[in-house]
Amino acid sequence: MPHTLSSSRPEPICGMDTWMPVPARILAIEQENFNTWTFTTRFVAEEIRKIYRFAPGQFNMLYVPGVGEAAFSLSSDPAEPETLAHTVRRVGSVTRALERFKPGGLIGLRGPFGHGWPMELMRDRHVVIVAGGIGIAPLRPVLYTLLHNPDYCKRLVLLYGCRTPADRVYASELEDWENNDAIEVLVTVDNADSEWNGPVGVVTNLLRRIKVDAKNTIVLVCGPKVLNRVAAWSFLQLHVPPDQVFVSLERNMNCGFARCGHCQLGGKFVCSDGPVFRFSDIADIFAKEDI
Amino acid sequence: MTDANTPPHAFFLPRSGLEDLFQILQSDGYQVLGPTVVNDTVMIRPLESIAQLPQGVSDRQDGGFYRLVDGDPELSFEFVVGPNGPKNYLFPAKLKLLEFHVGNERFELDAGQPDVPKYAFLGVRPCELAAVKVQDRVFGVAEPGMFRCESETWYTLARRQALFIAVNCTRPAGTCFCASWGTGPRATEGFDLALTELRGGFIVEVGSDRGQAIVGRLPTREPTVSELELAELKLERAAEQMGRRLETGDVKELLDHDLEHPEWDKVAQRCLSCGNCTMVCPTCFCCTVEDSTYLADENITRTRYWESCFTHQFSYLTSGPERATIRGRYRHWLRHKLSTWWDQFDMSGCVGCGRCITWCPVGIDLTEEIPRFREGGHAKAENTTQSRGT
Ligand SMILES: Cc1cc2nc3c(=O)[nH]c(=O)nc-3n(C[C@H](O)[C@H](O)[C@H](O)COP(=O)(O)OP(=O)(O)OC[C@H]3O[C@@H](n4cnc5c(N)ncnc54)[C@H](O)[C@@H]3O)c2cc1C
Ligand code: SF4
Ligand code: SF4
Repeated sequence: MPHTLSSSRPEPICGMDTWMPVPARILAIEQENFNTWTFTTRFVAEEIRKIYRFAPGQFNMLYVPGVGEAAFSLSSDPAEPETLAHTVRRVGSVTRALERFKPGGLIGLRGPFGHGWPMELMRDRHVVIVAGGIGIAPLRPVLYTLLHNPDYCKRLVLLYGCRTPADRVYASELEDWENNDAIEVLVTVDNADSEWNGPVGVVTNLLRRIKVDAKNTIVLVCGPKVLNRVAAWSFLQLHVPPDQVFVSLERNMNCGFARCGHCQLGGKFVCSDGPVFRFSDIADIFAKEDI
Repeated sequence: MTDANTPPHAFFLPRSGLEDLFQILQSDGYQVLGPTVVNDTVMIRPLESIAQLPQGVSDRQDGGFYRLVDGDPELSFEFVVGPNGPKNYLFPAKLKLLEFHVGNERFELDAGQPDVPKYAFLGVRPCELAAVKVQDRVFGVAEPGMFRCESETWYTLARRQALFIAVNCTRPAGTCFCASWGTGPRATEGFDLALTELRGGFIVEVGSDRGQAIVGRLPTREPTVSELELAELKLERAAEQMGRRLETGDVKELLDHDLEHPEWDKVAQRCLSCGNCTMVCPTCFCCTVEDSTYLADENITRTRYWESCFTHQFSYLTSGPERATIRGRYRHWLRHKLSTWWDQFDMSGCVGCGRCITWCPVGIDLTEEIPRFREGGHAKAENTTQSRGT
């Protein structure tokens, strides 16, 4: 088994200083949809490439010189840690600045940070992945890893929801996966267009189309806040134990290593206790606003 | 710390010896930081001479109230804590972390953080020592092996070099409640020397080898029994005269569960979300690192600033601030101090210095708030109107 199946947290490369970004070149930029691009990067320094490892669900702080930093999940295959991909949706200053880059450009990177998905718990289990929109990015490394090791889990299901068909990211890979026996893929959209002949409605509607072996299922959820809540609760209602439901959360992040205080959710530091949380560990505050 | 079996050996330093102490600190290369009056407020500042100490000055503190008044002209430490403290030097409100520029293949580091001075804190209060202990845990000084990836070595370096000359509190202020936490009015650890002020001079206790070496160079004598008894008595009386009290035993559990207690709404109607409480609290550690880029030479400077959880930007996401209401922000702050700090650092985030009470413009007082949470007792108030944030 590759080591990524047993560890949910390789430690960050510190470089000379954690606040000092490590330079990386952009190798390729792939447009995923009208506002989302996947940037494939490689560290300039070979010694860093040799030691950098990450686990599915971890993230990096990407740095655009002169603009600033923001948190982005690693979205590439952890078995190939020499090239790192991040899938970026344009929302503000850093993401807009990234959009202006061309291959060959130099950006900075700090990480990897946080605890990722519980790969070790997926062995011989049913794995149901629920993703919404850009929320599929931190789950793609899980998909790659499990598809490389098709016998590792008993069953692999991906439920993916988007606002419209045009909002999907990884569209061509979704098609590949639809034709792959190792995974069941169901994609739904909130608003269809004339070309869409798949399901329409919120992603949790897809639950009716699959039968889950509740006690034996690991659920992984990442999407907007509403989706996270509805999805987690739906599985609890199906009697999936709360310690088998995992959710990746977003908070404001500045440092990435539990120092700056911004990402606190109750007593948790989302950057290092999370971003992936076991539902039962945050059950009391998960659905609260203003925490 | 002194060995538990041998009672701390005490000395008597006549008042004139304060000058000798000051000279020793200066000649040993320390930058002496101590209390002095600035804008009608006692602040910790670099001192050039012992004459800058606020001799004959006392203070009156209450919720949203701070005034200096005339005190006993023979005493140099009759006031207690003002708005700043050692935190302002160990964890400065603004600190340049690094400067670099984008080279061809790499980021070239041009400068790191500034050099760390050797500080001697003179007149630091017991609650402050307790707060330093809290920040030691936060910044990872206490556990050197612990992963913090601490690029901000300023704290660690400043802390290791710093000398702490404590002054025990013989007169607490109206907002003090260190006795409730056991963090004062007498310093029990974390000092090199601890002084208890009497009219004619100071009872000096030694807390470290560094402190011992300094005492050896001071014009001390054996204290008399009555001097020792007087100092004891003053400290006992100070503990009895605490301006505030907080029942601390159940406070973590209390705030753990009562997220919807109606008192959150009530206190939010008074709170201005000004953030003063976070700026004066000696344990608050939140910060933001920002870049500034000089277009002329493409130099990038990363600077760390204190941040307050009472701002919108603190929790801002693309979808808006996560704590959009004052209720949410005050609740986060108070729960962090008294409850979730235990989850994170296995200790209290409050040491009972009373600053957040004194410097709150509307006098919100956590020692008054906590009993109200006890009264309402886990009432569920899901539908109470939330105060809208600004
Ligand atoms: C663990 C984690 C993983 C993420 N993964 C991805 C991903 O794979 N793809 C993706 O597109 N997005 C991801 N995000 C979200 C992304 O970090 C934010 O959208 C980020 O704000 C975009 O930066 P911006 O400067 O373009 O946005 P802007 O909204 O312009 O940001 C402007 C300012 O808003 C504040 N801000 C807004 N959101 C955040 C935030 N989350 N953290 C800190 N400051 C914030 C900052 O102060 C920033 O300077 C992730 C976030 C987290 C916490
Ligand atoms: S919470 Fe208030 S009383 Fe407690 S340490 Fe902070 S400022 Fe002092
Ligand atoms: S509690 Fe007082 S000091 Fe703190 S933010 Fe509210 S008004 Fe300001």
